[in-house]
Amino acid sequence: MTTTLTVPKVKRSIFRRPQATTGFRSWFTTVDHKKIAIMYVTTALVFLVIGGIEALLIRLQLAGPNGTVLTASQYNTMFTMHGTTMVFLMGMPLAVGFGNYLIPLQIGARDVAFPRLNAFGYWVVLFGGIFLYSSFVLGGAPNGGWFGYTPLTSSPISLGALPGRGPDFWTVGLIMLGIGSTTSAVNFIVTILNMRAPGMTLMRMPVFCWMMLVVAFLTVFAMPIVTVALTMVWWDRNLMSNFFNAAAGGDPLLYQHLFWLFGHPEVYILILPGMGIVSEILPVMSRKPLFGYSVVVFSGIAIGFLGWGVWAHHMFVTGLGPVAVSAFSLSTMLIAIPTGVKIFNWLGTVWGGSIRLNTPMLFSLGFIAMFTIGGLSGVLHSVVPAATQQTDTYFVVAHFHYVLFGGLVFGIFGGIFYWFPLLYGRFMNEKLGKVTFWLTLIGFNLTFFPMHILGLEGQARRTYRYAEGMGFDALNLAATVGSFVIAVAVLLLLVNILVSRRHGAVAPHDPWDARSLEWSVSSYPPPEYNFEEIPQVEARDELWHRKYTEDESGRLVRLPSGGADAPSAGAVATLEPDARDGGGDGGGDGGAVVPSGGGHGAGGHGIHMPSPSYFPILMCAGLPVVGYGVVFQNWYLGALGVLILIVGMYAWALEPSSE
Amino acid sequence: MSDADTTTTTEPVQDPDHNMLVGTAEEREREKKYGLQEIPPEEVPLLPGELSHHPSPFQYVVIAMILVVITALEVGVSYLEGDIPNGLIIVLLLGMGLVKLVLVASYYMHLKTDKPVFRRFFIMAAVGAIFLYLIVLTTLGVWDGGS
Amino acid sequence: MEQAAIAPPADGAHASTPVHAGHGEHETSTGVTNTKLAMWIFLSSECLLFGALIATYLLYRGRSKGIEPADVYNIPFTSATSFILLMSSLTMVLALAAIQRADYRRTKIWLVATALFGMVFIGGQVYEFTEFTRKGVTVDTNLFGSSFYLLTGLHGLHVTVGIVWLLSLWGLTTQGRLQQKDSETIEISGLYWHFVDVVWIVIFTVVYLIPM
Repeated sequence: MTTTLTVPKVKRSIFRRPQATTGFRSWFTTVDHKKIAIMYVTTALVFLVIGGIEALLIRLQLAGPNGTVLTASQYNTMFTMHGTTMVFLMGMPLAVGFGNYLIPLQIGARDVAFPRLNAFGYWVVLFGGIFLYSSFVLGGAPNGGWFGYTPLTSSPISLGALPGRGPDFWTVGLIMLGIGSTTSAVNFIVTILNMRAPGMTLMRMPVFCWMMLVVAFLTVFAMPIVTVALTMVWWDRNLMSNFFNAAAGGDPLLYQHLFWLFGHPEVYILILPGMGIVSEILPVMSRKPLFGYSVVVFSGIAIGFLGWGVWAHHMFVTGLGPVAVSAFSLSTMLIAIPTGVKIFNWLGTVWGGSIRLNTPMLFSLGFIAMFTIGGLSGVLHSVVPAATQQTDTYFVVAHFHYVLFGGLVFGIFGGIFYWFPLLYGRFMNEKLGKVTFWLTLIGFNLTFFPMHILGLEGQARRTYRYAEGMGFDALNLAATVGSFVIAVAVLLLLVNILVSRRHGAVAPHDPWDARSLEWSVSSYPPPEYNFEEIPQVEARDELWHRKYTEDESGRLVRLPSGGADAPSAGAVATLEPDARDGGGDGGGDGGAVVPSGGGHGAGGHGIHMPSPSYFPILMCAGLPVVGYGVVFQNWYLGALGVLILIVGMYAWALEPSSE
Repeated sequence: MSDADTTTTTEPVQDPDHNMLVGTAEEREREKKYGLQEIPPEEVPLLPGELSHHPSPFQYVVIAMILVVITALEVGVSYLEGDIPNGLIIVLLLGMGLVKLVLVASYYMHLKTDKPVFRRFFIMAAVGAIFLYLIVLTTLGVWDGGS
Repeated sequence: MEQAAIAPPADGAHASTPVHAGHGEHETSTGVTNTKLAMWIFLSSECLLFGALIATYLLYRGRSKGIEPADVYNIPFTSATSFILLMSSLTMVLALAAIQRADYRRTKIWLVATALFGMVFIGGQVYEFTEFTRKGVTVDTNLFGSSFYLLTGLHGLHVTVGIVWLLSLWGLTTQGRLQQKDSETIEISGLYWHFVDVVWIVIFTVVYLIPM
C-alpha cells in the first residue's frame, strides 16, 4: 500500500524546513496530531506517576497518628503539588491527548485545524511542567494548595506568610499552562466545527467528539478568568497591589469567586472526556448502539452550561449569605440531573446487550459505579447544612477522588486498553489488564471509601497529622495500604503499555468490531494522512453502518466487505482532488482489510499534509524563560524570553503551513 | 503549490521613481473614479463567511461620524453629574456605550453581514460574561455602597 | 488540508486562498474559514478576561480608600485619546476595504494610519499613567490604583501587540507578500483591533465616565 506524500525539498536561507516524519528527532518538529497525542499521553502518564508518588508520601505521613514522614511545610508542598500535578499536568493533558488522537480520526479529517499550534500546545505542557517542578530546587515548590487561596498566597514575601518562591512559580506556571490549554481548545473547536467529513453532521458525530467540543468551550471561557485571578495574586505578592489586601479594603473572597468560576468548569473539563470515552466503549462492548444518543449529547451540553452556575458551592462556608447560598445549592442539585441522565443512558446501553467483559469494558463499568458514588456524595454536598459539616473534611476528598479518579482515570485506563490496538496494531495483555482493573478497583475503594467515614468523623483536610485517640487510625492505615495497591496497579498498567507495544498479540483490523471511523483506517497505526480517502458519512456509528444492516426480524446481517459495496465507493466523485486515492478503487475501509491499489490520485496529486516545523517548540522555549524572568524579577531574562517568543512567532507566521 | 494563478491585474507594480507600490494602471484609474465613495459591490469578492457584502467605505465613515457624536454626547452627559440623578446618568452612559459597541461589532467587525455563527459565539460570550460577573459582584455586595 | 497558522502577527504568506482550487474554506463544514472562526473564539474568550478586570474595578471603586478617580482623571484628555482610538477602527476597516479591491497603496496608508493612531493612544496612556503617578496613584497605593492599572495596563498591552501586528502587515504589503487574495488576513487582524477598541469603549464608559 503505497500512497506517497509529496514533500518537495525546499532550500531556505536560514533554516531548512525539517522534512523527517520518522526517527527520534522528528518528534521535536512533528505536527502530526497522532504523534502529538502520544507525547501528551506519555507526558501525562509520567506526571501521573510523579503525582502518585506525592500522594504516597501524603499517605505515608497519614498512615498513623502524629506521623513524622513529612514536616508540616513539606506536607503542604506535597498536597499542593499533588493536586496541581493531577489536575493540570495529568488530567488535562490526558484528555487533550486522547482528543488529539481521536478527534480527527473520528470526524474523518486528516489532521486538526492548526497543526503547528497543536504541537505548541503540547510543548507548553512539557515546559510548563518542568518549570513548575524546577521550583523544588529553585526556591521552593508551590505550597499554598492547588487552589491557592488568598491572602495566604498573595501576601508579599516580606510579610512572611509563604516564604520562598512557591506561590510565584505556581501563579506563573499555571498561567503558562493556561496558554497551552487555550490554544488546544481553540484548535479543537475549529477542527470539530469545520473539518468534519462530508455527511458527518453534528448529530452523527461520536459522543467523544461532542464531549471534547463542550470541554473545549469550557476551557476557552474558563482559562481567562483564572488568568486574571492568578495575575492579581502575583501583583499583590510582588508589586504590593491591593486586590486581596483586606487592610486596603480588598476582598480575598474575590479571588475565590474568580478561581472557582474557573475551577468548577475545570472539573467538568476533567470528567467529560472520561464520559465521552465510556460512551464509546460501552456500545462497542455491548454490541448495541448508545442508548439515547441525543439525550447523552444534550446532557453533555447542559452540563457545560449549568456548570457555570454552581461555582460558589465551593464557598458555602465563606459567609455568602442565605440568598446566594440557596441559589447555588439549587443550581448544584440541578446539575445532577443531566449527569444522572447519562448514567441511565449508559445502563440502558448495556442492558440487553451481548456483553464482552474485557478490560476496557470493566473499566467503563467501573467508571459508572465509581462515578455514581462520587456523584451521590456530591449531591450530599449540595445540601448546604450538610456541606457546612463536610467542608474541609476528608468527606470532600473522598467525593472528588471518586469522581475524578473513579471517573476520569477509570475512563482513561479503559480508553488506553481500548484504543491501544489502533495505535500499535497490538492488544495489551488482557490477563494483566484484568488484574490491573481489579487491583485498581480494590485499591481505589480501599483508599478513598474510608475517607467518607473519616470526614464525617471530623478528620480535617490539608492537615499534616492527626492526634492519637481520635479514632482515625485504622481507616487511615487502610487508606494508605489502598494507595500502595493503586501504585502497584499503575505500575502494572505502565509495564503492560511498554511491553505490549512490541510484544503484544497482533490485532486484526477492527479488532473490537467497533462503530466509529477511527477503526476504518487502512493500517494500525494509521498512516500519517489518516484516510486513503476522506470518508463519506451516511449515518451515526458510520463504521457499524457500513458493516451491518438488519434483516426483517431486526437481526444483524453482516455486509460483504470490499470496495464495491462500501458506501464510500460511490462517493469518490464528491471528494477533493487531494484526498482522492486513485480513481475508483473505492475506500473499502469499512470492515475490509487494507485495500489494494492506491498510489497517487488522478492528476498526480498526492495527499498534502502539513509539514513539520521547528517553530512550535522553539517559540515555546521562550515561555519558561519569561517565566523565570518574572519569578526572579530578572528583567534581562524576561526580555530574552519575550525576544524568543517574538522571533519564534514571526518565523512561524511567515512559514507556510506546508511546503 | 505556486500561487501563480492570480491574474495580472492584481499584481502590484513597482514605481521605479518612488520605490513604492502604487498599483496597476487599472487601479489608478479606478481610484480616480471612485476614491472613497461607493465601490461597486460586484467588483469586491465576497469573503468566505460573508452572507452579504461588507459595508462600503462611505458607510464606514458614516458610522464613524455617528460614533464620534455619541462619544461627545457621553462626555457631555458625564459633566451633568450633580444636575441630574446619578442613576439616570448611569443608564444613559451605559446605553450609549452599548450602542457604540453594537455599531462597531455589527459594521466594523462585520457581524451584521457575516454568517451567524460568529455573532452567536460572541454574543454568548459577552452576555455570559456580563451575567456571571454581575452575580459575582452581587454576591460580594457591590450594591451595598462600599465598606 | 492545509491551514494557515493562527499565531499573530498574521500569516502573510499563506492565508486562506479563495481562488486556489482544491484547498480552502469552501470545504469547511460551516462554510467559514478556520482562521476567522478561531479569531472569533479567541475574542469571545477575551470577553471573559476583560470582564473579570472590569468587574474587579467596579467592585473596588466604592471601597477604595484615599485618592479617588475624580482627583486624577482628566476627562477631556481621555476623551481625546478615546476619540483617536475610535478613529483607528475606521482606518482599520478602510484598510480592509482597500485590500479587498486590490488598492495596495490605500491599504498601506490606512494600515499605517491605524498603527499611528494606536501609538498616539498608547502615548496618551503613558502620559496619563505618569500623571497619575505624579499625583500619587500607583499600583500599590490603594484599590483604585491596583485595579485601574491592571485593567488599563492589560488593555494597553493588547493595543501595543496590535500596533506591532499592524506594522508587520504594512511591511508585508510593502513587500508585495500580502495581496487581494489575502484580504482575510487583514480582516482577522481588524477583528482583533476592533475588539481592542470595543473593550476601550466599555472601559471609557464604565471606568472614566460613570459616576460613583
